Amino acid sequence: MSSSDGHARAHHPHLADHFESIEKQDHAARLGMWLFLGTEVLLFAGLFLGYTVYRHFYHETFHHCSRALNITLGTTNTIVLITSSLTVALALWAVRAGKKNLAIGLLVFTILCAFGFLGIKYLEYAHKFEVGELPGKWFRAEELMQYPAANMYFTIYFLTTGLHAFHVIVGMSVLIWVLKGILKGRYTPDYYVPVELGALYWHLVDLVWIFLFPLLYLI
Amino acid sequence: MADAAKETAHAKDGHHSHSATPYFVVWAILLACTGLTVWTGYKDLGSVNLPLALCIATFKASLVIWIFMHMNEAGGTNRIVFVTSFVFMLVMIFGVFGDLWTRNEMSLPSHVPSTEGPEIAVPEGAGPPAHHE
Repeated sequence: MSSSDGHARAHHPHLADHFESIEKQDHAARLGMWLFLGTEVLLFAGLFLGYTVYRHFYHETFHHCSRALNITLGTTNTIVLITSSLTVALALWAVRAGKKNLAIGLLVFTILCAFGFLGIKYLEYAHKFEVGELPGKWFRAEELMQYPAANMYFTIYFLTTGLHAFHVIVGMSVLIWVLKGILKGRYTPDYYVPVELGALYWHLVDLVWIFLFPLLYLI
Repeated sequence: MADAAKETAHAKDGHHSHSATPYFVVWAILLACTGLTVWTGYKDLGSVNLPLALCIATFKASLVIWIFMHMNEAGGTNRIVFVTSFVFMLVMIFGVFGDLWTRNEMSLPSHVPSTEGPEIAVPEGAGPPAHHE
């Protein structure tokens, strides 16, 4: 390595030893994130496939069981997630524009939206437990007993929304970590890739819900 | 590394000229689409309901991916990687549909054999009446 390379390296404190330049490091980080998001899509695809198969077999059952869900709460949660997707995109924009306080406010709002989503989800789950609209052998909702395999609808409901809620918790934790970094002044208009990747993960959580909501609530 | 150079160029452009307006526009469209999907969800449009809901959801997802997730700024490799996962999801779903659409009555879950033991040649109408509908 020439001495001028060594000099250029010293200019970027976030450049790891094994990368030639910050551009290549950022590119590798983004590519890694997109690869991971691709595997996430495939993870949920398995559940969507299960949904498709059971809905095909028990079309009427799925229609009647979906009426047991609260569309108002589902729609509210959709709006909460879409809005949080907007604010996390704006937070990244603010970091890139060097508006630190705006970025902090937007991220805090996004994290509050995540808590709000989980709170509403809790209300929905609590009601399901109360009336026995549960998966498998725990199913005891009498008014839905007449439909064959009604429990399968709730198995799929809890598996898909449960895995999604888990992603909300992970995404929220990632955003809290990003927020900590911003508070410490670690991210600047010259170095914001961790903020970008955290935001990407949060958008994926929104993406999954965009499909789950109509397929579960509005059939 | 053309992609890396492209991403950097976008990042540099983004510093000052980048406006936040597109994000608000996308947000408004997403909310409007949510309203539309809920409204059509309440209506009984027969077999149109599901394809319509999926079309709206796909449109919303594309907006999120293109603008919020900055796929419009992403390098070619990142695009290929993410789109490929959707291609394989479709391969999996349509592969399974090939099975679902071509099944024999006997291998449907709604088919109940009249006696225990191996399922052989149950004459039509000999099974117990279906308990649904």
